[in-house]
Amino acid sequence: MTSFNLKKITSKDPDLAFAILLSALVFMFFSLSEPLFFNINTGFAIMERFAVLGLVGLALTLCIIAGEIDLSIGSNAALSAVIVVRLTDSIGATNAILIALAVATSIGLIQGFFIAYLKVRAIVLTVGTLMLLRGITLFAADEKTVMLTDFDIPDFIQEKMFYIFSPTSFLVLGLFVLVALFMRYTKYGREVYAIGGARKEAVAAGVSLKRPMMIVFAISGLCAGIGGAIIGLRSGTAQPLGLQYLLLAATVAAFIGGVSILGGKGGVFGAFVGVLTVNFLNTGLVFNVTPAYIAQMYLGTLLLIVILFQNMSKVYEDKQRRQLKLADTDSFRKRLMQTLKP
Amino acid sequence: MSTTVNSKGSTSTLQAKVLTLVNENGLKIFLAVVALVFIGFAVTTHNYLTLFNIKTIIRDAALVGIMGIGLTFVTLSGNFFLLSMKETAALCIITFATGMSHDYGFILSLVASVAVAMVSGGLQGLLIGRGGNPIVVTLGAAGILYGIASWWSDNLVISFRRPNDAEWLGTGSVLGIPNITITFIVIAIVAELVLRKTSFGREVYLIGANRAAGKATGHENRSMAIKVCIIASVCCAIVAVAFSAQMSSAQANYFSSEFGSSGDFTILVIATVMVAGNSIMGGYGSTLRTSLGAVFISAVDNMMVLQGYNSGPRVLSVGLMIVFSILVFAYMRRDNRSEG
Repeated sequence: MTSFNLKKITSKDPDLAFAILLSALVFMFFSLSEPLFFNINTGFAIMERFAVLGLVGLALTLCIIAGEIDLSIGSNAALSAVIVVRLTDSIGATNAILIALAVATSIGLIQGFFIAYLKVRAIVLTVGTLMLLRGITLFAADEKTVMLTDFDIPDFIQEKMFYIFSPTSFLVLGLFVLVALFMRYTKYGREVYAIGGARKEAVAAGVSLKRPMMIVFAISGLCAGIGGAIIGLRSGTAQPLGLQYLLLAATVAAFIGGVSILGGKGGVFGAFVGVLTVNFLNTGLVFNVTPAYIAQMYLGTLLLIVILFQNMSKVYEDKQRRQLKLADTDSFRKRLMQTLKP
Repeated sequence: MSTTVNSKGSTSTLQAKVLTLVNENGLKIFLAVVALVFIGFAVTTHNYLTLFNIKTIIRDAALVGIMGIGLTFVTLSGNFFLLSMKETAALCIITFATGMSHDYGFILSLVASVAVAMVSGGLQGLLIGRGGNPIVVTLGAAGILYGIASWWSDNLVISFRRPNDAEWLGTGSVLGIPNITITFIVIAIVAELVLRKTSFGREVYLIGANRAAGKATGHENRSMAIKVCIIASVCCAIVAVAFSAQMSSAQANYFSSEFGSSGDFTILVIATVMVAGNSIMGGYGSTLRTSLGAVFISAVDNMMVLQGYNSGPRVLSVGLMIVFSILVFAYMRRDNRSEG
């Protein structure tokens, strides 16, 4: 009976089942191979990483659900980090964060508007804004790494509470819940799924392309902004050309979470699982003193494996559907022949 | 495809006129803009319009231009772009320099480097042709290729002795024209001829313009993706070899940090494809546009250097150029397309 139930679950949402399995496997592998991995301090470190990568992974998941991909996410986060670090000294951390978030969100809004209004693909526009935002960031940072003068200001965001959480990870978890509720229970959330999964049909049914696209990219900008602000405040420094690695890690997380590049698939819970998997992997690799480029190599391999898995399951589904259809027409022909016989 | 632009009748006459004008004379208008930039800034910038400086501009455009030409094949065939350009080049430059430092000679190192590029490009093309999204596949491949390059070289600089038999490509010149520039021009001409005169070239355009029609007539993207990815990767290998020959050394992060003001060479390559108005959706454009785009970006960059700007404004200007050209061309073609 158990195997039957398992089959039922996996056939209902095979991608999510795969994601949870993968995440558990990675976690178990490092728990068994590294004696210090299964530990409250490691848990705290994982949650701290989750705060940043979770945001970007969530943002990218939403974009991919809407059938688009936001390549400018790393540049946007870097701009936000530079703004926060530069302005904190003069106007205080709170104001600096507010300004950075406003800038990041409006960048997202403008991108979403142009994508919907000009019917241009997001990858095309965002690869341009990627460079544009780098230029603006270099400009804002005077082409050098900016630094806080008082490193005590941002300590409050990484205070430990409830064993493995901090204010930032609580904030990010709260945001996950909010976005999940938004996507599931509001009209706007369903519109995002609609323009991703079946854009022509959705537009024909009267869904405006503009609103969901602007919502998605605004959320994406906001998430990148918060992520950048957290990184900037936590380390006290910000590099104008940094944070390029976020895109790969977030894409891996989103695809493990079960999104499809064709859009309309996946969800916030999947993104959560995907980000956790990537965090387990990244944190586990730190224990082995793995250089960053090797970690990147693992992430790239993981991404290609997940894509292969998705493609194979899609080919399998298509085959099954075709066979069903064939069987259908066969039985129809048989019945037809029988009625024609006498 | 340019004659059916106004079939909907919803466009205003002025817009339609501009649309037809740009669609039919896009290259001429682009040339005029390039000429205007040259003339405009020649007046204001000291030492800009000297023969030496123009040669410098074209030589600077050569490396990014060669990679851009390779990428144009991918873009024209409707496979967007590869985000693994600079990482492919990184792996190739390590391969080449390792070969050179072990005294295998120029030819053997070049062949090894091109072979590596063909394998990595072919594998990426295989995944893309089987329905993988080009952006996502090459994003993953980029991580792997860069990882291999760094791991192989231990992230150290590999240098090889001077004099060597690769120097002619890096620093040599014929009649005062650097050999890298000549390579660029030759590749540009060959690529343009391949696209215009061979059946392969027409197949690229067909599959890019209308994938369904291509499939119906037996031209599948499955094999095309492999071919165009190999072409793009081999162009990366050529650039890597030329750059390594110039420096007599190699490191995995040469294409990330050492040159290109933005620190992201791939985006600069994509910029050369986009600025000249090649359609990113495929089927429309040419390698000639890309070559001119590379020269254009190089010319603007050179001008800004001579005017004394830092990297911030220069990256900003390239970014503005890309976004501006995307928005303008998207606006022009907006009514031409039923769905985004």
